[in-house]
Amino acid sequence: MKFSEEFEARFAEMVPHYPTKRSALVPTLLYAQDEVGFLSDEVIAELAGRLDLTELEVRNVISYYSMLTTKPRGKFNLQVCTNISCLVRGGEEILQHCAKKLGVGHKGTTPDGLFTLEEVECIGACSWAPAAQVNYDFHENLTTEKMDRVLDKCLAQAQEQLQRIKSVDSLADTLSQRSEG
Amino acid sequence: MPVLKNIAAIAKGMSITFMEMFQPTTVENYPDGKGPLRGARFEARFRGAHVLQRDENGLEKCVACFLCAANCPSNCIYIEAADNTAEHRVSGAERYAKVYNIDYNRCIFCGYCVEACPTDAITHGHGFELATFNASNLVYRKEQMLASRPAHMGANVVFNQADVDGGAPKEMVAGS
Amino acid sequence: MADVTLTVDGKKVTAPAGTLLIEACKTVGIEVPSFCYYPNLSLQGACRMCLVKIEKMPKLQTACTTVISEGMIVTSDSEEIKQARKSMLEMLLGNHPLDCPVCDAGGECELQDMTFSYGAAESKFMEAKNHKDEQQWSPVVFFDRPRCILCYRCVRVCGEGMDVWALGVQNRGVSSIIAPNKEDHLECEECGMCIDICPVGALTSGAYRYKTRPWEMKHVGTICTHCGDGCKTTLGVRRADTGMEIVRGDNRDKSGTNGDFLCIKGRYAFDFANHEERLTQPLIRKEGKLTPATWEEAFQLIGKKFAEVRDRDGGSAIGVIGSTRTTNEESYLLSKFARMVLKTNNVDHHRTADFPAFAAALRGKADATASMADVFTAPAILLIGNDPTEQHPLLAWQIRNNVRLHRSRLYVINSQAIKLRRQATNFMQIPAGAEGKVAAFLAGDDAAADAIINSSSTKDQWNSLRDTLRGEQNLVIAFGSEILGSDLSSLVTFGSAIAGAKFVCLADYANSRGAADMGLYPDLLPGYHPISGSSEFHTEWGEIPQAAGLDLSGMVEAASTNKLKALYVVGSNPIGRLKIDSFAFSNSFVVVQDMFLTETAVVADVALPAANAYEKSGTFTNTCGDLQLVKKAGEVTGTKADFEMIVRIADAMGFDVRKLVPIGGGTHADMGQSRGAQSGEADRHAVWLEAHGLEPKLSPFDPMAILDEIQRLVPGYDVSRMNLLAGNSQHTSLAKAGPGVAHRPESISPANDTLFSSGTLGHYSRALKSVMESHEVKPAEVAAD
Repeated sequence: MKFSEEFEARFAEMVPHYPTKRSALVPTLLYAQDEVGFLSDEVIAELAGRLDLTELEVRNVISYYSMLTTKPRGKFNLQVCTNISCLVRGGEEILQHCAKKLGVGHKGTTPDGLFTLEEVECIGACSWAPAAQVNYDFHENLTTEKMDRVLDKCLAQAQEQLQRIKSVDSLADTLSQRSEG
Repeated sequence: MPVLKNIAAIAKGMSITFMEMFQPTTVENYPDGKGPLRGARFEARFRGAHVLQRDENGLEKCVACFLCAANCPSNCIYIEAADNTAEHRVSGAERYAKVYNIDYNRCIFCGYCVEACPTDAITHGHGFELATFNASNLVYRKEQMLASRPAHMGANVVFNQADVDGGAPKEMVAGS
Repeated sequence: MADVTLTVDGKKVTAPAGTLLIEACKTVGIEVPSFCYYPNLSLQGACRMCLVKIEKMPKLQTACTTVISEGMIVTSDSEEIKQARKSMLEMLLGNHPLDCPVCDAGGECELQDMTFSYGAAESKFMEAKNHKDEQQWSPVVFFDRPRCILCYRCVRVCGEGMDVWALGVQNRGVSSIIAPNKEDHLECEECGMCIDICPVGALTSGAYRYKTRPWEMKHVGTICTHCGDGCKTTLGVRRADTGMEIVRGDNRDKSGTNGDFLCIKGRYAFDFANHEERLTQPLIRKEGKLTPATWEEAFQLIGKKFAEVRDRDGGSAIGVIGSTRTTNEESYLLSKFARMVLKTNNVDHHRTADFPAFAAALRGKADATASMADVFTAPAILLIGNDPTEQHPLLAWQIRNNVRLHRSRLYVINSQAIKLRRQATNFMQIPAGAEGKVAAFLAGDDAAADAIINSSSTKDQWNSLRDTLRGEQNLVIAFGSEILGSDLSSLVTFGSAIAGAKFVCLADYANSRGAADMGLYPDLLPGYHPISGSSEFHTEWGEIPQAAGLDLSGMVEAASTNKLKALYVVGSNPIGRLKIDSFAFSNSFVVVQDMFLTETAVVADVALPAANAYEKSGTFTNTCGDLQLVKKAGEVTGTKADFEMIVRIADAMGFDVRKLVPIGGGTHADMGQSRGAQSGEADRHAVWLEAHGLEPKLSPFDPMAILDEIQRLVPGYDVSRMNLLAGNSQHTSLAKAGPGVAHRPESISPANDTLFSSGTLGHYSRALKSVMESHEVKPAEVAAD
């Protein structure tokens, strides 16, 4: 299993900070998840080997933390807070709105693989409730309209990326056709 | 006068005797009475030979927990337990009594087993004609004590997982 | 450590500083309930049952995680505490199924007991219970999730105790579950410790599942008949058509040296006793076929034949092969029978360690052997060769937990990367077969260093290891059968220079040490007295042949030249285990006493159905030299103990059995069977005698009569009889043993059993077989913490 150089650099830097190797497990898992998108069996086996743990121990930790997942997630992980402050300021409505709009429930992923909706506990943005998190970005003082705009922005961003990939692909196609010709 | 007094006393006594001669008989006419019980009558709480009950699916209620045997003051209950499998399902729980013997040579019909039973599997029936010339006949096996299957299930229903998966047994549908 | 005094419920308690409150309470008889606390395991504080009131602390505290301090005032029982415990139970019972009548733990369940004590039987919860189906994790481990109360004892004992780490906890809060390491099954050493330690019926044993209930069995604490470690296993026995059937092996009686520990063999591999191929009547070869016969017929025939051969060809034409799984009394009796009755010194057994050399090296050295208990307390341990995890599970457990709990230093020298290296302070890998050179090097032969260095070690490392070891005190040196003869004596030379050093010589099979101590050798009498010398045995036993006899290979050779006319095999399978040609003894009259028609028994002229060690009384000596009582648990109708058979054969040969078995004078009453208290009503008189410290010894079949003689004559066996009968292990000493003799190294062949095999017995154990089949590969080693 190969990780990016950035990951390897972080890993190498991090491990000696702790008295035992296993202490580096949680940050390592987070970095690996950011990179791969989720914690596959392969990732678990690799990290267990690196940190001298059993796979079972790694799985125990993953199952404990809700932000770690062994299943693939959408491109945008939409986490809506419904803890007390957000709840009284309409977090529940935001969640319902998102669920309706995306057509998925808690921990569901849209069929196009773009969004995963998650109902989460406090994300520490009580002063600006209701709040939600898209991947690592915060969106605060939400209303349904504002939420729509956030989702649209995500969609647009995704489409733009798709266009770019397509154009690169077509460029690649033309290039390959030319070289074949 | 004492003579008269004595005669009066005898007459009074005999009058009851003669009166009773014309009253209908009140003792049980067992074994010459009518019906399958040949004249025997029971109170509902009578503690007779045990009956091992079945549940509404025709499965044995006994799960071989051994509490009856543990509770028995005369130590007359012998049980061997076995594991229910999907192919061979005898009781409703994971375990059933492969062997369930009651030794009526020793049973004192105290009813502690019935009290102890957590699944209401063992009950006292009204069987009382247990006498025999051979003591070994008094060790009753499970088969002798089991209640018959519910009528709607037919006598020979084989109750196993395949039946459960495939819906109700044919006999059950036909009979009900 | 300094003592601390505190008050619990008005009682003054003094205990060393650092003691946990729950343990301190125990010392004055105050029982604080708990599920998750288990002595010698890490602290969990999960169940909240041990809550107590400590003055000046605002809330109730958990006694299992609180360390005592000076002047602490503790209340362990009050309305508030009762209420707290009751509500904890109510929570635990919230999703606990009420299937006690079906549950295997019903009757010995800690949750049941607590519910009875605190009475939280009625539930206030309206919610339906969350049912999950039972899972089978391995042939011997079943998991019923709703019954689990999440005390994590299983997780800790598997990881910390066994160093297997096969169980874990997944998810959190109310959805926490115990999970096996391979998603839906376990890949582990199958020791079953998790089952034994489970306070409820969440983990249940595949072998005992739904067979009976705890109170329906009799529980007999006896010694395991598999490896040489001598664990005490509690066998649950029940009446059956064929006698007494063993239905469960577990650790209910924690009085053995093994404490909490049992491996797969001690826990599940008792089922060979009820194997359907078990012999239950004597077989005599008639017209080339083994046909059933009566005992009388068999004994008459054997007696006639043996006497005939002895008188015609001399005793040297008879060979005797003893067993490593019979009791000391039987081995001693066989040794005596061969010499006195058969007049032969052709006596041998399956040797798995060089005990004669060990005894010779330790001669005159008092306290030079370590007991199994010493291995748990020694400050340092040196292990050369062997793989205790596979071959000596208890030794491995003692070492592991000594390292974990007492910070003992472990030095491992092995040709393989054995699992115990993970506990080692220093692990040195050597080329295969170089163990002897290690002994030489340690003893000071620097030239031997070249043979033990490999790519991973340097000469300097070895030198510093030797210096470190020389600086240790009370070092326990355990070594496997790789070290023999002169290597063994050089190792002893090295060890003797270390203050308080003690040795453990590792042999396979339950009573290998006993067989060696009881003189099942062609040239040694019991206690390693050479046959040609003089000893008490020479005077006590009267006329015995003086020349050394043939060993096993010698007997095979003699049989091939038709010089061995008769062979008597007691509980051994040399043809199956020692690669001897099945036709080797075809010209001899062969008598075999065994449980099954083994490779050896099928070629016998007379095969006698023997009882196994779970079906008789006597003593075993484990590989460390700890003498322990073997108690009769099971019974299979139609079998006899080897002891009785030997006596009957002697009788059939016209020998006065009183000279063989010293039984009480004058009285001829046979008290039935010397089976002891466990067999119940039949033997009340014997029970009474035992309770009064007396023993009947009226029967020629009473092994205790021979034990008297063993204790009187065999050096080192003069241990406290009272302690022995009480079920404690008694360490024997080799200091006064005879000088021994040197043997060829080839005569020793280790059993090479693994965790899941057990010589010939293993073939007949369904539990071991099913586990072997489920482990196509060896249990994968998992990373240490």
